[in-house]
Amino acid sequence: MPLLLRSAFIGMLIQAISYGEDSRVAAFHTDPVEVWGSRFLIATISIGIALLLFTLLKYKGATAGPFSWGLLVVGVALVPLMSSGLGTLLVFDRAERVEFCESCHLTMKSFVNDMRDPKSESLAAVHFKNKYIPDNQCYVCHTSYGMFGTVEAKMAGMEDVYKYFTRTYPKVIAMREPYPNHDCLKCHAESAKWLKHDEHIAARDDLFADKMKCMDCHGVDHPAHPDSVRKVAQR
Amino acid sequence: MKNTAVSSGKGLLITAQILALAALALGLNFLIQTSGGTLFLFASVGPLLVVLAIVILASVGIYKYNQSHHLFTVETYSPGEMIVRQGEPGLCAYFIQSGEVEVLRRDKDQDNVIAKLGKDEYFGEMALLSNEPRNASVRALKETRVAALGKDNFVKLLGVLPQTKESVLQTVQERAKAAGAGGS
Repeated sequence: MPLLLRSAFIGMLIQAISYGEDSRVAAFHTDPVEVWGSRFLIATISIGIALLLFTLLKYKGATAGPFSWGLLVVGVALVPLMSSGLGTLLVFDRAERVEFCESCHLTMKSFVNDMRDPKSESLAAVHFKNKYIPDNQCYVCHTSYGMFGTVEAKMAGMEDVYKYFTRTYPKVIAMREPYPNHDCLKCHAESAKWLKHDEHIAARDDLFADKMKCMDCHGVDHPAHPDSVRKVAQR
Repeated sequence: MKNTAVSSGKGLLITAQILALAALALGLNFLIQTSGGTLFLFASVGPLLVVLAIVILASVGIYKYNQSHHLFTVETYSPGEMIVRQGEPGLCAYFIQSGEVEVLRRDKDQDNVIAKLGKDEYFGEMALLSNEPRNASVRALKETRVAALGKDNFVKLLGVLPQTKESVLQTVQERAKAAGAGGS
């Protein structure tokens, strides 16, 4: 048993040290804070688990002086509190990944597949394959600009996660609201490429006021989306 | 009454450790395999487990601290009720005010009576002086009233009353001699 525990502990530490070493991802495309934060956290949690198993097996719930109390405080309070705190920061970072979004938004599987398809010419796929958006593509396109956009997205995300696991989401899955222009314009508006087109200048006020939709003129966002299909049919 | 609390303290500490283990396992699961499910468990269930574990640990800690700082708390035990159990940590010394108790020592899965104590006698001092677990159990034979003195105050008492200390140490020696390896 102790040998098994030791092997498991060493395995977890190796996992911690090697975390983020993915040969398919170039080093400059990884966030060093995320990678080292994750390594540190995996190592801390592994040590916490080893400490708790040690105290459980050695003392079996008894306390024999300050040393055993110290181990208990570290194992039961300090390590879990630190893990929860640092882990929450990682939660915010990791909850922006495409893999994370698609793990719950199962109805959007076909959208994600299309986005990853190098042959697709949909707006999502063009942004993805050309790396116009380097990473977290779902999150970047579906989040409003600035700090409040992030806060809004995180709150909506927590609500989504809650609804998903309590099975209280509506049976007909639909967008909360029509896709807002400013989610496109936060990157494109006033860029040289955007200003080059007279149509943009002419429709500037309507576009900024969301009275005219970007998607009315620009291709298909997600081909699998019923709205996209309807719009294409109308053209 | 007190013994039940000490035993459940043991169970509570094990529970706190298991809760903390579960919270850490959820954290590891989230870090190794990030998804909506693992995030939900880590971000919502995990903190609840941690808070619960800390509350349990703090409650047991406060209870044990109060126990070892008892200043003559009077406790009453019914006949047959265990007052201290062999193997448990010593938190108090007991001074018998009325009634009678028997001191039992477990040997080869059998409890042997090694002494009987009555009014104005005391027990439970050895574990406090040696910092070892109780080396015998004590059970009430009659309705017994004891004054429990917490470890810290017991040690302080011996420090300020040298004659009492001498008397206690002599009793300890006699009990150890009588019981072969020790008394209660």
